[in-house]
Amino acid sequence: MAAIELSEETKREVERIGSADLVVGIAGAVAADELRSRVEPIVAELGSGLASLRIVFTWAGPASGEATGGDAEENAGRRMALLPFTPPASASGEFWAGVSAHQRTILAVAASLNARACIVLGADLAALQTHVLQLFAYAVLDRQCVAAMPVYPAGRYDGLINTGILSPLNRALFGKRIHYPIAFDFAASGGMCGQFLRQSASSNGTGQPLLWPVTLAATQFPQQGIGEVHVNVHHRVAAEGLELSAVLSQIVGSLFQEMEQYAPQWQRVRGSQATPVWGNAPAERSGGEAADPQPMLDSFLLGSRNLDEVWRLILPPNVLMELRRLTRVAPDAFRMPDELWACIVYDFALAYRLRTISRVHLLGALTPLYLGWVASYIQEVSQLGGAALEQRHEQLARAWEEKKPYLLSRWRWPDRFNP
Amino acid sequence: MWEQVEQSLHSSMVRVMNQVATLLPGILAFIVAFLLFLLIGWLVALVVRRLLMLFRFDERMGRGANAIAEWSPRATPSMLVSRVVFWCFVTAGVMVGVSAFEAGTSEHVVSQWILGYVPRIAGAAVLLLAGNVLARFVSRSVLITGVNLNLSYARLLSMGARWMILVLTGAMVLDHLALGGEIVELGFGILFGGIVLALSLAVGLGSRDLVSRSLEREAARPVDVPQPEQIHHF
Repeated sequence: MAAIELSEETKREVERIGSADLVVGIAGAVAADELRSRVEPIVAELGSGLASLRIVFTWAGPASGEATGGDAEENAGRRMALLPFTPPASASGEFWAGVSAHQRTILAVAASLNARACIVLGADLAALQTHVLQLFAYAVLDRQCVAAMPVYPAGRYDGLINTGILSPLNRALFGKRIHYPIAFDFAASGGMCGQFLRQSASSNGTGQPLLWPVTLAATQFPQQGIGEVHVNVHHRVAAEGLELSAVLSQIVGSLFQEMEQYAPQWQRVRGSQATPVWGNAPAERSGGEAADPQPMLDSFLLGSRNLDEVWRLILPPNVLMELRRLTRVAPDAFRMPDELWACIVYDFALAYRLRTISRVHLLGALTPLYLGWVASYIQEVSQLGGAALEQRHEQLARAWEEKKPYLLSRWRWPDRFNP
Repeated sequence: MWEQVEQSLHSSMVRVMNQVATLLPGILAFIVAFLLFLLIGWLVALVVRRLLMLFRFDERMGRGANAIAEWSPRATPSMLVSRVVFWCFVTAGVMVGVSAFEAGTSEHVVSQWILGYVPRIAGAAVLLLAGNVLARFVSRSVLITGVNLNLSYARLLSMGARWMILVLTGAMVLDHLALGGEIVELGFGILFGGIVLALSLAVGLGSRDLVSRSLEREAARPVDVPQPEQIHHF
């Protein structure tokens, strides 16, 4: 985990405010006027439970004098303050690195203010709604959850990296059935913010660029629960110009790094626990037309024709044989078994740890396999909806859990599987 | 006459045996010095590696370690340092061995030639190693990027990149060893020039129609209204 150092201006602002019960942070730059106009009615709407709390809204913006006109002082009587923080130096990183840098700074601000809870929201302000804040605050303050993650309304073909890798892998590793282990919006308890700050201070500043709240909560507070809240929000992700392989490398590479760091903890975890979910699940989003899997299938086949020499270094012979068999089946019958997909990702995680090949190459070589899984998945779920889709996700996650002994064996005795 | 032949052969044999006997102490001195330095090098490298591990050298190197690992995944900074120490001792062993050989015999030509050539060999070995690592890294990068860009000729590109670097490395190594003289430079120039010319001709003549058809098609194509994507990976 990278060390967090708040800027002098931010520290001065924090000292001026002193302390807070709840910190609501916007993970990105927003206009101070817009934020103020959105925040004031929300504070007015907050229920009796939250109305007594001292709430600090923080966001990446210029120093207080220019931006807030001394709001921290002005609103002190109303138990609400605005606190801009200096954007972190690593905030300009690619895709999620910038979001994570802001999220880490917000947790550090909350820890410095000795807040009882911290709610982090996306920079598009889509989740800056009264009931979302109420739900997150309820989960952390009233139900004593160490962290609360969102459950977004997702279509059949939305968030496939999350569905196919992040969520099932996280669940298998840490035993928490969390839908979105990395998210724009989440809440953390004061204890978790403090732990985060201590951990980042003790790091040598050369670590993990992304923030995984679930990992932190599950490894540092194994006895405390993690909750989920339904958030009826669809964040706009600027996908233009983003290359799939680069995003996949960044996010999956970061999760593999977490696996390496927390290996002693996740090796002790068996099975998984359901997490409490609060809020009302939004109405099912219409799935629209069935997607065409052919481009993804073509990418997988191209990969299997060309990347065999790379895959051979990473995957054991039985997995390679299964993949070769898949290249021969008809496009309509193309199905990648969940167990095979889980083994593939586990093998890549192991190769990442052992540095079998360059990590850049390793993560690049995962993309065609991921697209193969996507082709298989979208063929399977094209006719599914609602509960059946949820059941399919559950089946996938269970397969990952069942294959965890395979990961454990390979992690502990990597050479046993290689000829 | 037969006796004369026999005598002459005998005297030649005696001269050869004398020469060998003169060289033997030198060769023995070389082997002993070399083996001694090999053993010392191995021991010192082992001690250095243990010490570096004790002081968590790899972890302290931080980002530098990651950069090394990207190029040569299984190498860690401590391993690299210990190997450098080992090979320094091996080189020193060769030098001392040659000096010992020189002291043990009256032959100075061999030692002078070897001592003069050792730096060239060492430089060439470093070049060869660096070229091979670079060729492997670049070819794999090109292959994976090409596949992820859905290029059906990704393997061809990767092989091309690999061989370009290997040929360049080969030419540099031969040049460094002063082998082949101008033939290497000339041959390399002709080879590289030939490849570039062949590619230019292939694109300029062979694909002329293809390029023009493609450009016409692009110009005639109506402006696409971007359709919302059905699949969202993130």
